Amino acid sequence: MNIRIALAGNPNSGKTTLFNALTGSNQFVGNWPGVTVEKKEGKLKKDKEVIITDLPGIYSLSPYSSEEVVARNYLIHEKVDVILNIVDGSNLERNLYLTTQLLELDIPVVMAINMMDVVKKNGDQINTKELSKQLGIPVYEISALNEIGINQVIQACLHPCACETKNIFSKQIEDTLSCIENQLSSIEKKRWHAIKVFERDEKIMKELNLAPDQCDSIEKIIQEIEQEYDDDSESIVTNERYEYISTILSTCYKKNNKGKLSTSDKIDRIITNRVLGLPIFALVMFLVYWIAMGPFGTMMTDWANDGVFGDGWHLLGIGGSQYEQAMEQYGNSTEIIDGFMVEYGNENMVSLLELDALKALDELYNLTPENTQISYEVIDEETLDSEVFVANKKDLEKAIHEYTNVEYKQAFGQPDTSTYGIWIPGIPVLVNEALEKLEVSGWLSGLINDGIVAGVGAVLGFVPQMLILFFMLAFLESCGYMTRIAFVLDRVFRKFGLSGKSFIPMLIGTGCGVPGIMASRTIENENDRRMTIITTTFIPCGAKIPFIAMIAGALFNHSAWISTMCYFIGMAAIIVSDIILKKTKPFSGDTSPFVMELPSYHMPTLKNLLHSMWERGWSFIKKAGSVILLSTIIIWFTTYFGFVEGTFRMLEEYELSHSLLASIGNMIAWIFKPLGWGNWQASVASITGLVAKENIVGTMGVIYSSSGNVYHSLSNAFTSVTGLSFLVFNLLCAPCFAAIGAIKREMNNTKWTCFAILYQCGFAYAIAFMITQFGNVLTGTTHFAGLIIAFIVLIAMVYMLFIKKGEANNGRI
Amino acid sequence: MEEFNLPTIMLTILLVIMVVMIIVKLYKDKKKGKSTCGCGCSSCAMSGMCHKREN
Repeated sequence: MNIRIALAGNPNSGKTTLFNALTGSNQFVGNWPGVTVEKKEGKLKKDKEVIITDLPGIYSLSPYSSEEVVARNYLIHEKVDVILNIVDGSNLERNLYLTTQLLELDIPVVMAINMMDVVKKNGDQINTKELSKQLGIPVYEISALNEIGINQVIQACLHPCACETKNIFSKQIEDTLSCIENQLSSIEKKRWHAIKVFERDEKIMKELNLAPDQCDSIEKIIQEIEQEYDDDSESIVTNERYEYISTILSTCYKKNNKGKLSTSDKIDRIITNRVLGLPIFALVMFLVYWIAMGPFGTMMTDWANDGVFGDGWHLLGIGGSQYEQAMEQYGNSTEIIDGFMVEYGNENMVSLLELDALKALDELYNLTPENTQISYEVIDEETLDSEVFVANKKDLEKAIHEYTNVEYKQAFGQPDTSTYGIWIPGIPVLVNEALEKLEVSGWLSGLINDGIVAGVGAVLGFVPQMLILFFMLAFLESCGYMTRIAFVLDRVFRKFGLSGKSFIPMLIGTGCGVPGIMASRTIENENDRRMTIITTTFIPCGAKIPFIAMIAGALFNHSAWISTMCYFIGMAAIIVSDIILKKTKPFSGDTSPFVMELPSYHMPTLKNLLHSMWERGWSFIKKAGSVILLSTIIIWFTTYFGFVEGTFRMLEEYELSHSLLASIGNMIAWIFKPLGWGNWQASVASITGLVAKENIVGTMGVIYSSSGNVYHSLSNAFTSVTGLSFLVFNLLCAPCFAAIGAIKREMNNTKWTCFAILYQCGFAYAIAFMITQFGNVLTGTTHFAGLIIAFIVLIAMVYMLFIKKGEANNGRI
Repeated sequence: MEEFNLPTIMLTILLVIMVVMIIVKLYKDKKKGKSTCGCGCSSCAMSGMCHKREN
């Protein structure tokens, strides 16, 4: 027979942590107010007949917030066998308020005092036996995070005993409640309903549907008490509950360091400091992106892009240093020989080099005059910089010696990296070799190599960086720091008419825009809510990271500043848009109040962090194997097939400008010409980004796979200015289809959805346009008409930022 | 035009099957109300809202 246990308690008391420990599931444990706004159900790990329900965190059973209503309705209307009341041991007084209400529901209650490790660390003392005696229910000490005491609690839930009824109110109130109970015949949970009727709870009154004479009689009783106490009935109940709680705590709770600041408070004095708060936030985010996208992250991505999805890599680095030594000894021998071959060789000699290198090089040496000098070019593979050197006959002699030396390499010519240590060939190499062995058709080989492997590989190459970033963000969320950011931002931006509540969706959106958009539901003010929905996706989500990393790698030497800058550009875009929109009539209104509990800091467990990191990373990988894969097939087909002289056929690499994709791209490329990147490749990449932002990388990977190195191709296609413009446009423009769908659902109005998309695209276009035009001034390629328009756009934006609200609403905007 | 040899035909069929399976999976997930955001649900702060229908 099923047993239903409901987990009820204040927000951040550890309900979801306990739920995960009991059911073995991995629900999100967030330090956001309102993270769990719907109940979640699971089955007890050790006994599948037991159903555990995780309710939203609530401070009371009053009907003032959606979480309270959800929890209350569940406890009253569903068949709950036991309530497991999770209480934060470090905050007993506040948590017990809910406990007193739960005891009135006529459902067995078991109390679990959580965070006992924190209680002991603080030196506080809780006499659980006395507390149990006072409340009339079993009380257990647990630490849900460390899974201590959980088994005893569950056993108590499986064998519950009825609560001893304790009269917590004064005699007069208790008598009044008895009178009301007498009026409520044949109703379950009489005491609880009586208290709610006494408090004039509208929802309960509506549910009970009492007769008019009953209502009058009860109202008369309530008014008499209110007159006597000189207070309203709800306040009377609240006061008496707290008096009862104080009485209990005086017998069983001893707080050490009363009045002194806790560790969290001490940290908050710095973190949420008026002056230091924002700089600390900027530093923290820079560190996050520097670790994920800087030297360490880049090293990991280079291994993925150049190794796993490139030529290959040395397992555990074995053989790497030997190869580097060999290359150092070999030097520029190939370039020197090629240089002399061009100058003094002939076609026969070039062919002979393949068949009999010793003979060919001997002939070259003999044909080279004694006192001659040639110049040759060397291109750096990393930086793509070229340098010109000079060589004489002595250098040629040395080059020939190294070319033919097999003491430190296995064959003539340049050392082959795969012959040193343990070489693991990259996926493209293995796939290509397999396809060649099978002798598949050229088009299929092209589809697999240049389409699927190139496209999906380009995206998957960024998985290491994404995993590191997800790990860091999970840490910031779990430890409690992210909530502080909302608090810091609220204080600063309230002066501009913005509320910190609007920033919580933005902070959630750093993982994915969809939950960020949905988090706008916690904003009561409809105008602010709409505004938040429109601007949340400006913040770079996880899917935009590969694209940011690609641009940073190709054009800005993998600088971590680029990714940090993108984060703050997104934030600036949100703030600027919110300020501007708030001044317009459709979005005007008073600033929403912002009340939020700051949970105590705690060190998250490595297990939870790794799980969160892997969950997000695995979803990213699955998306690459599904949506991105389908996209790359379509992109490949449209890139490598087109009409040439009236014939539809597969194209050669030099004919890609005739492709179907190029035709589509050229139709829209003119739109992006003012932004400096009006070519078909960049245009179609931006469009494919609507399917999934990672697709921008996949599309570039397919389009530029024929030219060899994608980074090299990008550095030729974009300058620093136009690259930045391309980056910012795609950062700020309309999000992916999934996020657009979320916008549509949350707006629940086609007109507003269209406005949101148009605003995002328009805003992105304006910013990218200004970057190009002002950037061109710095690089000396000024376009005067464009510059003037850019100035007009900037002035308009500044005007909207600083215009007073009243003026904006007086029909001007 | 290049020949359609046996390996080409087999690989093409394999690819087509893979594409069809992906499309079917995406369609079924959409019908079940599963989110297509690609973020991973158990790590998502809003999964309680997203899967309201399933609950």
